[in-house]
Amino acid sequence: MFRSKRSRLVLILVAITAFAALGLVACEEEEEAEIGTVNVLGIWGDEELVSFEAMADPWETDTGGSMAFTGTRDITTVLTTRVEGGDPPDVAIPAEVGRFQQFAGEGKLTPLSACEGLEDAVRDNYPQGFIDLGTVDGVLYGFFMKADTKGTVWYNPGFFADNGYEPLTVDSTFADLVALSDQILADGTPPWSVGVESGEASGWAGTDWIQQILLNEAGGAVYDGVIDGSIPFTDSRAKDAWEKFGQIALTEGYTVQEGAEGINATNFINSTYPPFESPPEAAMVYLGGFASGFITDQFPDAVAGEDFDFFPFPGGGVTGGANIVYAFNDDETTCSFLNYLASAEAQRVWVGRGGFTSVNSQVSLDSYPDAVSRAQAEQLSGAEVFRFDLDDAIGGALQLAFFDGVTQYLANPDDLDSILSGIEAAR
Amino acid sequence: MVGRRWWTPWLWLAPALALLGVFLVYPVVDTFRRSFLDERSKGFVGLDNYRFIIDNPQPLVSDTHSALLNNVMWLTLFTVVTVSLGLILAVLTGRVRYEAAAKSAIFIPMAVSFVAASVIWRFMYEFNTDIGTVNATVTSLGGESTAWLQNTGAPHTWLTERGPDTLPRPVQINNLALILVGVWMWTGFAMVILSAGLKGISTEVLEAARVDGANEWHIFRRIILPILSPTIVVVATTLVIQGLKKFDLVWVMTGGRFKTDVVATLFYKEAFRIGDFGVGAALAVVLLLWVLPIMVISIRRFQFQEETR
Repeated sequence: MFRSKRSRLVLILVAITAFAALGLVACEEEEEAEIGTVNVLGIWGDEELVSFEAMADPWETDTGGSMAFTGTRDITTVLTTRVEGGDPPDVAIPAEVGRFQQFAGEGKLTPLSACEGLEDAVRDNYPQGFIDLGTVDGVLYGFFMKADTKGTVWYNPGFFADNGYEPLTVDSTFADLVALSDQILADGTPPWSVGVESGEASGWAGTDWIQQILLNEAGGAVYDGVIDGSIPFTDSRAKDAWEKFGQIALTEGYTVQEGAEGINATNFINSTYPPFESPPEAAMVYLGGFASGFITDQFPDAVAGEDFDFFPFPGGGVTGGANIVYAFNDDETTCSFLNYLASAEAQRVWVGRGGFTSVNSQVSLDSYPDAVSRAQAEQLSGAEVFRFDLDDAIGGALQLAFFDGVTQYLANPDDLDSILSGIEAAR
Repeated sequence: MVGRRWWTPWLWLAPALALLGVFLVYPVVDTFRRSFLDERSKGFVGLDNYRFIIDNPQPLVSDTHSALLNNVMWLTLFTVVTVSLGLILAVLTGRVRYEAAAKSAIFIPMAVSFVAASVIWRFMYEFNTDIGTVNATVTSLGGESTAWLQNTGAPHTWLTERGPDTLPRPVQINNLALILVGVWMWTGFAMVILSAGLKGISTEVLEAARVDGANEWHIFRRIILPILSPTIVVVATTLVIQGLKKFDLVWVMTGGRFKTDVVATLFYKEAFRIGDFGVGAALAVVLLLWVLPIMVISIRRFQFQEETR
């Protein structure tokens, strides 16, 4: 009895070792082939991952290569660990550029020019703002895909029409936004739904408010100054943006979450639901273009443009985020995949599936599946002033301090000055 | 026989030693080394990383003082409450007919993965009363919904007047809410071990005490507790180490935000989220130095017991 158990165990061990060895051999053989497997580290899961795989399908068919995707929301951690451990992925597609700049500065990344035709394709078809963001010390290392406008105030068109509320336009001002809020409040509905809970990153939804107000009220130069450090968070213009955010979030009766405690405790995804309940529990929610995905997940019958729509955040300026694509080597496989990803052909695949806004100028507006997603693409490409997401642009400790500043400010608005100098201390 | 050669034991030990070396000794040594280097582990910075922990220059991102205080709180409150509850439950369940059922029910949380349990408790504490069981109960009793995981106020302000205040940390509502989950998970463990210890007490001793006229409280205080004390120490030591290295629960439930960071979450955040390996390593060293004496004490005690056996 013992003997047979033991010999079976040995057999299993031998089998495992043999399989592992085979696997190793198989991997090595693949590396030697011309187009092999490209390892991609990104943040997508669920529906988004299915769309990304659909996007990679034509490349796999055409080249005979394959794409192996690892998705994690904790991408900064995983990426840092893998780079530190000498085992970076071939391609990384995170949302934050702070760590990208660090890697590029340390010489860990491959310039786009190392892949034939890639740098030219990107320079020809991508907006200058995004090219600048992908450039470190004069060298272009990354390009952007799957952009998201953050200039979108979501509302319920039916509810607005029934009560005679007018959606705002690009020409509106922050004062108009407050006036609209007061009007809605006077009629008995909380004008806003705000939620900033997001686990370890709690507060980022509030930073979107602040950056959007900062860009509109103080202008692009001040916005850039806050990013590069020439203008501190303690500057009066930055402080003004915080206070205006506070005016929305903390004015009595303005939020369905009933103020600071509820806002800090409400998850950002859940915060998108109240305006679209029947009857609506709030009138508006400000969150990036990706919010349409949360709304349609929760209300599968909701029709874009009829049951939910957005108006531009008043002031004309638009902030937005995007996923940056960069590579750690210039293998033939990696280059082939990057060239494909950067192309309009690839991006049209995901654009057509919904939930993807392209910054590639070759992707025409007709490619978008509905009016709302088309309007988002239009807002991004047609913005008077566009700026990349403030906290994603600064990254690192300062980004986390910014997040924490928001949750602390909501809880203790009187401490704003010390909170702002606390954020600046993390720079 | 091969067992006579001097190197034979070492040969058998080699696999274990190699694993220990790779996964324990090397990381510890490397962590020490990195704690004296800068954020990218390139240049020597002396004690700067330790000074960072003491001076706490970035209270928004990495509040080192708060993390240390929170750990003290986990260490004491978590251990004391769990051991006491475990002891009470061990004594009580030992006296009822449905002992097995009662014990199983209390022990079940231990069988749930910590991350899963943390996710479940996130829902329990949810602010929205349609989801959060705790707040649904509170509001149905006439109270107001509370952000259990975000509220940094002191517990008594919740009872009297609501809202944040500036009372001494780390006694804050969200810390207590987190520790409660830890207690929920570990009480079963304490109960089972202590209950086994209780069963080991000879009934003759207890009978003799009863014949001499001792009441149940005296028996518990004068006989059960002293006999059980080695077991209690073992349980408490395990829990102290648990409380010190607490990570999963805090990370899943709050991500260390709203001043709930403990040293383990903070060093993870510093090293891997912020990318400052120096401060991260220094925090890890602080944690190691903190655990070390407790381990030494428990090992000494163990040896002492072995000798006197």
